[in-house]
Amino acid sequence: MRYAVRALGWATKILWILIIVFSVASVYSAMNVRMGFGQPQAFLSSGFMVISVPLFVNNTGLYDLSELNMTVSVMDYNESLLSTSTTFVPSIPRGSSIETAHNISMNLDDITSKLLDYLFNDTVFNLDMSLKLNFAHSIPFEVSTNMTMPWGAPLYNFSIGQISYNFLNLTHQEAIIPISFENHSPYFGVDGFMRVEIYNDNGELLGSSVSDLNVPSHSSYDSQVETIVDVSKVTGSGEARFYFETSAFSFGPMVMPYG
Amino acid sequence: MVEKGQTKTFARKFVPRIIKAALLVVITYLPFYFLSAFIEPFQSFFPWYAPTTNLFAAVFMIFLVVGVFTSGTIYQYVFGVARALVTMIFFIYVLNGGIVTLAVPVEGTSVNVMVDLTVILAMLVLVCLLGIGKNVVQAIDFVSAKVEMKEL
Repeated sequence: MRYAVRALGWATKILWILIIVFSVASVYSAMNVRMGFGQPQAFLSSGFMVISVPLFVNNTGLYDLSELNMTVSVMDYNESLLSTSTTFVPSIPRGSSIETAHNISMNLDDITSKLLDYLFNDTVFNLDMSLKLNFAHSIPFEVSTNMTMPWGAPLYNFSIGQISYNFLNLTHQEAIIPISFENHSPYFGVDGFMRVEIYNDNGELLGSSVSDLNVPSHSSYDSQVETIVDVSKVTGSGEARFYFETSAFSFGPMVMPYG
Repeated sequence: MVEKGQTKTFARKFVPRIIKAALLVVITYLPFYFLSAFIEPFQSFFPWYAPTTNLFAAVFMIFLVVGVFTSGTIYQYVFGVARALVTMIFFIYVLNGGIVTLAVPVEGTSVNVMVDLTVILAMLVLVCLLGIGKNVVQAIDFVSAKVEMKEL
């Protein structure tokens, strides 16, 4: 009986020492893990807008980190999912560091087809971010947060002014259409072409023209489009149809009445 | 003369126990004190920590003192088992069954932190169970030794 008591006493003491040493070493190691995010960069790649967030982890602690899993879900104001992305790092051994990038990609065609509002109205996206990892192969750790990301419309406040006509000859006139919008997008410029088609009240095509667009982020576009129209078809009112072909998105027609 | 002898016996019996109990209380209180000082800057994240720990420390020390004063009786082991049980319940409660969650406000947004300390909790529970087992075995040993003494 005495031996059993003595064995139990020693087992208790050894286990207490193990727990204390492991706890202290874990806290010390956790304090020596440096983790951070770099400056996010946005770029366009074959119809996708990619937001790349550099991630670095420097593990100078005593234990390995494993199964690092970072997930970011982007949702719009209706809570409908736009994109989910995951970055997985199988292992970060002690005394080593990793540098990787977490890429969040959004199909711009999907965005424009589903939610045309994004081209013309500023909004806010909700970001659900979570980072999971296994500490010392025994302590799962998770950090999660919910953030909002402002979305700037690339064609914010798109509007046409009063159409004016320049006399050319008895059959044709030059229609001048003032166009203005602001590129509120912090992520990309509006670079490409804009095609304009002018229709009269009867739905007949009066004329069309193509203009270059080169509107960087956070800048405004204020210009005019000239097109030759048939005088006999001009009715004074009708609609203008706009088609956009840019490096970031393709969209059209956007119909705006005039007159 | 008899009164003087009784006082001497009482002093011989209880003064060492009082000193031992006082020493054990001081030694037991030290980790609580240092842990509280360590936790102090993060107090706002663990508002439940201080009251729970103070209550646990008080109950633990009462059982410790009573255990010292009842040493040499079966109650010493009864209080030993109670102490181990209280410790086990405290760890399970404080570590929320092994899953510790915190909401840390960072620049206006709330960051949720979750740590799964099931492994550490399992080790702590195992230590407490070993403590209970040890006290039970000691109690059996104590009773059997008493019976043997009686038979002799």
